Parts: sequence; C-alpha cells; structure tokens
Amino acid sequence: MYVTLDLTVPALALLGLAVNLRVTLKEPPGYFPKELCSCSFNSGRRAEGGRLVRGGEALIGGVRTRRVSGEAAIEPQRADPAELSAPIGPRRTGSVSAPDGADGTQTPGRRSLAGVGGASRPRGDWARDKAAAAAARDPSEAGAGCMGRRRRRVDPADAAGALPAAITALSRALPGGPSAETFRRAKFDRPEAAPALWRLLFHVLSPRPADDAAALPTPEAQARLVKSALRSQGYPRRALVQLPEDGSQGSRELLLALSWLLARGPLLERLLAQIRVRLGDEMPVCECEVLASPGPPAPRVEADGCVDIRHLQWLMGKLRFGWRNLITSQQEHCALLGKVHSYTRGCHSDRSLGHLSVTEAELLRDPEGGRQLLRRLESENARLEAALEWRRRELVFWQWMDTVLDACPPEASQPTFLPRIPERGAGELELVARELQALQEELQAVVETRRAAWEARVGGWGPGWKATQRASEEAVRQELTALQRAWERGGGLAQPHGPHRLVRSEAGTLGGPGLRATEVIKALRSREACLEAALRQLQGQCRQELARLVGALPGFIWILPPGC
Amino acid sequence: MRIMRGLSLRHLNKTETAGPGAVIPIARAVLVDMEPKVINQTLSKAAQSGRWKYGQHSSFCQKQGSGNNWAYGYSVHGPRHEESIRNLIQKEVEKCDSLSGFFIIMSMAGGTGSGLGAFVTQNLQDQYSNSLKMNQIIWPYGTGEVIVQNYNSILTLSHLYRSSDALLVHENDAVHKICAKLMNIKQISFSDINQVLAHQLGSVFQPTYSAEGSFHYRRNPLGDLMENLVPHPEFKMLGVRNIPQMSENSLAYSTFTWAGLLKHLRQMLISNAKMEEGIDWQIRPPLPGLPSLSKMSLNKELHFNTSIANLLILRGKDVHSADLEGFKDPALYTSWLEPVNAFNVWRTQRAFSKYEKSAALVSNSQFLVKPLDMIVGKAWNMFASKAYVHQYTKFGIEEEDFLDSFALLEQVVASYCTL
Repeated sequence: MYVTLDLTVPALALLGLAVNLRVTLKEPPGYFPKELCSCSFNSGRRAEGGRLVRGGEALIGGVRTRRVSGEAAIEPQRADPAELSAPIGPRRTGSVSAPDGADGTQTPGRRSLAGVGGASRPRGDWARDKAAAAAARDPSEAGAGCMGRRRRRVDPADAAGALPAAITALSRALPGGPSAETFRRAKFDRPEAAPALWRLLFHVLSPRPADDAAALPTPEAQARLVKSALRSQGYPRRALVQLPEDGSQGSRELLLALSWLLARGPLLERLLAQIRVRLGDEMPVCECEVLASPGPPAPRVEADGCVDIRHLQWLMGKLRFGWRNLITSQQEHCALLGKVHSYTRGCHSDRSLGHLSVTEAELLRDPEGGRQLLRRLESENARLEAALEWRRRELVFWQWMDTVLDACPPEASQPTFLPRIPERGAGELELVARELQALQEELQAVVETRRAAWEARVGGWGPGWKATQRASEEAVRQELTALQRAWERGGGLAQPHGPHRLVRSEAGTLGGPGLRATEVIKALRSREACLEAALRQLQGQCRQELARLVGALPGFIWILPPGC
Repeated sequence: MRIMRGLSLRHLNKTETAGPGAVIPIARAVLVDMEPKVINQTLSKAAQSGRWKYGQHSSFCQKQGSGNNWAYGYSVHGPRHEESIRNLIQKEVEKCDSLSGFFIIMSMAGGTGSGLGAFVTQNLQDQYSNSLKMNQIIWPYGTGEVIVQNYNSILTLSHLYRSSDALLVHENDAVHKICAKLMNIKQISFSDINQVLAHQLGSVFQPTYSAEGSFHYRRNPLGDLMENLVPHPEFKMLGVRNIPQMSENSLAYSTFTWAGLLKHLRQMLISNAKMEEGIDWQIRPPLPGLPSLSKMSLNKELHFNTSIANLLILRGKDVHSADLEGFKDPALYTSWLEPVNAFNVWRTQRAFSKYEKSAALVSNSQFLVKPLDMIVGKAWNMFASKAYVHQYTKFGIEEEDFLDSFALLEQVVASYCTL
C-alpha cells in the first residue's frame, strides 16, 4: 500500500543532517496523527538513527545542523563575525573551486531564536547564545558531533504551530510557493488547491528558471511538462499521469509528487543554486549545465512536400555566420574583461582576489545598480533563511505527509508504470537480441582460435619469453588504462564542475586555491583533439558512404568538394 | 590595395574637432602596393582633410612595381612579403577591441595588385579563419586596354570565391556613367570615381539602428549584412545601388519622398539599372502562379533580375513611415526563399551626407551574370588558343589552375541562372 517514497542515506547525507531521532509526541494537535511510530517516514529515519552523517557540508552556506531537543543548533563554520556584518562584503565568492554551485556563498544566518527573519545580531553572539541554550537544555551533550541516540522532547506549545511554520518555511524557500492553507487543502484533495500546486511543480521542474510572467506557457502546457518530467525522473504513482491537464484536480497527488521530489534529491539546493547572485565574472569549466538540462522538447515541424536543398544550405550558412559572430563577441568580451581586471588591480578588499569584477566595478560606478544588487541579495538571503528554517522543522512535515499518504485511496492495479512497448517492436527486439548473441559467440570463437594459435606458436619458446610476455602485457594494460583515462571526460586531472570566478593574477605568483587557466586550457585542448579525431572518423565514414552511392548510379560524374 | 580592419569603437568614434591639440582618429587600415606613388598620394590626401588620417606605419610598399603580371603578384610577391604584411595586419588586429572582420578593397583585372590581393585574402582565411571577410572588387571597363585582363579577372574571382565570404562588386562602367550623367562631371578623374564609390560604401556601412524601434546602434554591421545576404556558399556576389545620387548644385533644388525613391530603387533592382536615370519601366515581375521552370525562361526573355536576398538601408527624415511593400513581393525573389527571410531593412533617422532622405540597396541577385559570362567567354576563347598563357606558367600558375577557375565560374554562372 505504501508507495516507495525513498529516504535513503545519501539523500540525507546531502541534506547534511545528523539524524538520530526517536519521536514521541504527547498530545497530537490538529494536524498530527495519533500513531506515528509505525509510519514509513519515521521508521525509515529511525533505522538511520545513530549514524553520524558528517558528509555533505555543502548545505546552504556550509552549515551543519544538529537536532537538540527539538530545535536545531546551527554551528557556524570558522567565520569571523566581523566579516559577516555587512550583507555585500562577505558574500565570499572567493572560493574558486566549488564542489557544487551552492556553496561559497555563506549566508550570514542572522537569526534569532524567536522565529523567522529575526534581529541582526552578529553571528558569533548568536551562536554562543544557541550553544548556551542548547547546553542548558541538554547537558548530556558535549561539543560537536552527535553520536548515539538522543531523546527528543517536543514542547507541546511548539507543536501546534510547528507544522504551519514548517510548511510556510518550505513555500518561502521554493519559487512561487503557495500558502500553508493550500497545502492543508491539498491533503483533503480540494480542487481549489490544484492550480497553485501545478504552478509550483512547473517552476520546480522546468529546466530554466522562468523569471518573467510573460514567458509562462499555458496551464495545459505546464501540466504536460510536469507529467513528462516526473515520468522521466521515475515517479511511480499512476494517479498523477491520469490527472486532467486543465489544472483543476489532483491536489493531493501533486502534494505527494512534491514531497517525493523533495525527499529524493537535493531539490532545494538545486533551486537555490539557480537563483544565486553572482558577484564575480564567471566562466563555466565543464559542460554539465548544458548536458543536464536539455530544455523542453522542440516542436516538430513537418516538412510538407520536398524541400529545396538550397534553402537548407542557406539555413546552414546562417547558422555558421551566427556562430562566427558569436565567437567574435566572445573574444571582445574576454578582451574587455581583461581590461577591467587589469585596470582595477589592487582595488579589492580581498587580497587573494586583488581586482574587481565587472559587477563590482558597476557597483562603484552606479549607486542605483548597487541598490538593485542589494535587493537581490536580500531576497536571496530571505530564501536561504527560509530553507534553513525548513531544515529545522521538516520532520514535522514528513510526519504529516505520512497522514496524507494514508488518506489516499489504495492503488488499484500495479504500482509501477511500465512504458508501452508496441507489439511489432517486441519482435524486432527479439531479432536484434538474437543477432547480438550470435555475433558475440562468433567473436568468442574467433578469439579462442587466435589465442590457441598464438599459444601454440609461443609455447615452444623458452621461459625468458614468458617474462617478456608478461612485461609487454603489463605495458599494454597500462597504456590502455591511460588511453581510457585520456578519452574520458576531463582527462587525467579531476575536473571540477560548475562555474568558476575569473581571477587575474600576476605572472609568477602562485595565487590561491582553484584551477590554473593553463591547466584548463590543456584539458580543453586534449578534449578538442579527441573530438576532432572523432569528427574526422565520421567524415571518413560519410565519404565512404558517398563513394558507395557514387558507384551505384551509372552515367554520373561526381565532383567531390575540395578537401575530400 | 587597401585592407580595412573591422571597427574599433574607440578610435573611429572620436568626434573632437581638429584643433591643434586634438587627437585625430586614425583609420584601422593597412595599405599595400608595390609602388610608393599611389600610397603616398592616399596618405597625404587623407591627412590634408584634417579630420582623419592613416597610420604612419600601416602601409607596405616596394620600390618598384613588376610589370602587371597576376602570376608574379600571386606566386612571387605574395610569399616573399607575406610575413611583413601579416605583421602589419596583426598589429592592427591587436588594437581592436572587437574585430568584426576584414574589408579588402582591390581591383579584379589588375596584374600585381590583383594577384597579391588574392594571395593576401587566402592568407587571411588561413590565419583568421573565424573572422568574416568581404572583398570589394572593381569590375574592369568593358573596353579595357590590358589584353590579359580577362585572364586576371577569372583567376582573381575564382581564388576569391574560395577564400572570401562575400564579394561586393562595383563596375567601372556603371560608376563612370553615374559621374557623367548624374553628377554632370565633364572630365572624369579617378578621384571622382572614388568619390562615388566612397559614397556608396558609406551609405551602406554607416551606423544604423540595431532593431525596429530601438535607438541603439548596430554593433556588427558587417556580420549582420553577411548573415542576411550571403549564407549560401555558391551565391556570394553582391551589388550596391543607391538613390539619390546627384551633384551638390542640383541637390538644392530637389525634394524627395520615400514613395518616389523606393519606387525608383525597386525598378532599378528589377531592371538591373545602375542609376536612377534611363530606367526601363517595361520590365515587370512575372505573374504569380507560373511553375518555376517556365518562370525562369520568361524572366530570361524579359531581362528580369531575380534576387536571392536584399538589404535595404534607409537614412533620413520620417524613415519609419516609408512603405516597403514593394520589396516584399515574392515575385522578386527565388522560389526557395520567402520574402520574410530574403528581405531585410536597416534604418536610421540621421541623414547621410547632404541628402535629406537616401536609400541604399545591397542585393544578392543575378545582376552580374551577363558581365561574368562575357568575361569567362572571352577568357576561354583566349585560353583555347593558349594565348599569353606562358606569362602565367612562368610563375607557377599552371593550366590546371586555369581550368579549375573556369569550372568554378561556370558553376557560379549556372547557379545564378537557374534561380
């Protein structure tokens, strides 16, 4: 009856939580179900309890959370409190190599105990406050790192407001999140909650953040995209697929889908990384962004009748010119960046950077731009704080989601949704599988005969030969692995991902951590060589195909273009 | 031969008046010639204006010319001076913030100059393969004096067709007529002809607005022009027509309307006229609904000039009110390109030169088919009897090169004829 909503350890690790809870609630107020210990959500977590999950400090701002008597104590990393007092200055994008896009910008975490968006006290004070409060509440705790199980006592007064607070925090951290009331209505599958949830899922699942309302597709298109995206990620419930696309029904299903996405992977982190305010001049190092989000499928255009090949050549030529113009503007961009960096040498307060980026230079020139940047930073801060709040309170949400799951009618037929394979296709697949099998056997046979022949030739030779044979085998193996590594992405060096900030340093100075441009250039050149070799091979294949076609048509003289 | 670099906004946008201490903008250009005479004249004439000048060290010349021989220019002068010319060009490129491309001005039927120009263009293709290249070439007089001018022409054209992206052609005959009829000049000198050419080029490449309704200027006119007009590798020949063109005296007594200007310009395009006088108004676009093959033969009979693509540039007062429907007629264009893709317009409210309203039309059309066919025919006749070929083979241009050139140009003529 329970659908596989998976809370595996890696997911938790990424959330950076040390989970070690046993839930005992005294009085269940409005939203809370009476029996919780048998819920799938909690039992899953309890199994994980006791394991220290240290990894994944790449939570928002690199803070680890710890649950201490129902509240999370947020330990700061070794950040100087003085540095974190101003909102702009300490947005340290100075860490050049980032394991993923979300770190490096540490939120000052100006929070107080009283609730969301509290007073701005320097962080050091607050951390000490929290630690003192934590210590006061649970004296058995000492120092960082939680080992073993802890008792979690929930204040009943807190519990009543905990769920709405958790949901509010979640919706403030998500783009365009609906109110807590919408979530409550969704539990009871009320139709008025459906449109808001469709919109929310669309924003969460669309590959590129849609900033302006004018570009939003129709609700039907949104619904279709949501369905296809969920299906491609492996969402198991069939009921969602069967929902009508006019956006009028199915709020409970949508709510379940949302929690599935949240539980499954680093959804919040990914969304927050998308809206990150970038202060430096950034350059992508890998192609991950391009490959990961292929975008919505392009509409198919049926060519009616025959197409004049000159028209196609015209379009190809336009593409080529567009590409060349793009290269020109990219070169101009680099030249101007170089100028800005060299002219503002010595202007940056951060010595390791040394010069201003374009955004920072604009800040100095244009106070209005500075104010806009401040507003963007503040809104990003608000979302990060909401995300932190969510992390503190999310257990309550998962408990409630269990009840939502219970409220669903049981799934009638098989829970897994298999793709429909057409009858004809099944036959062809059989054929292909058989052919592959035959090919493999043939290959095996050939290999065996050749190996036997070689052994026969070599067997008569002396023991010295065995040693050289082994040595040559070893050498070949090493060369193969080297080749394989060279052909894999990024070559030999561990290629970091994500955008990197460009920092220009004087020749000879070693500079801080991060990639050297020369190394990146080398890696890119080797990749270019690999791609060119692949291109030449493909061109050779095309040429052979052309030659074959040429031979097939008598009475024609073909003049191949130069270079063939 | 003059090579102009793409625009460096820093240098060419300076508008300070030329007082004693003012900085005079320097053209981003390299001048190449085997003789010093023309270069010196050009440098001094520019500097005399007081408004701009050429760089002092951005020219390359030798002490004496070498007998008007295309093969000598291509195979001997080219490789010999390749390095020096390349260094000059590199220096200019490095000064650019944004290199839009190269604009190479040369003659087609000349000897050393044309051969060297073809060589340098090829060199640019190898060195700056991503940059755009446009060659502005001067089509020789029909009754030229040099006996081998047809050989030179076909060799130049075929080499340029391979290494350049677009060929902007000005015919000496046409410009001569403009000077005589429209400008009323009695003794036509080279500087008069150059004036007309400069006017035509200026009317195309001066700044225009980048998009409909915007007031930002286009950042890359060369790139945009090429993308609109010459994406197809077989169709690279471009021609310029502009209206009005008249002497300054007549200008004072004339008023223009956009409707009148555009009507004349359209008929100039259709009837392949080069100026607004003596237009044949009988030529009309074919009626729609005819199948394409019969349309082609009908066009040939009627001397109708089919266009592949057109770029219209309007400058002056009330420029947004001009009615362009005449240029969007599908009958003007080929069957495989719709007017929405084939026709583009650039506008600016700033008047050009002294004309309150002026229009220029850059078109990729059949206008050169007949002259090209004629030159190829004459060259072939000479080649069939191997006349003067030894002058070329002496310096490394073999008969195969001639045959390749003929084949390529025949292909170009055939492609344009079957539009």
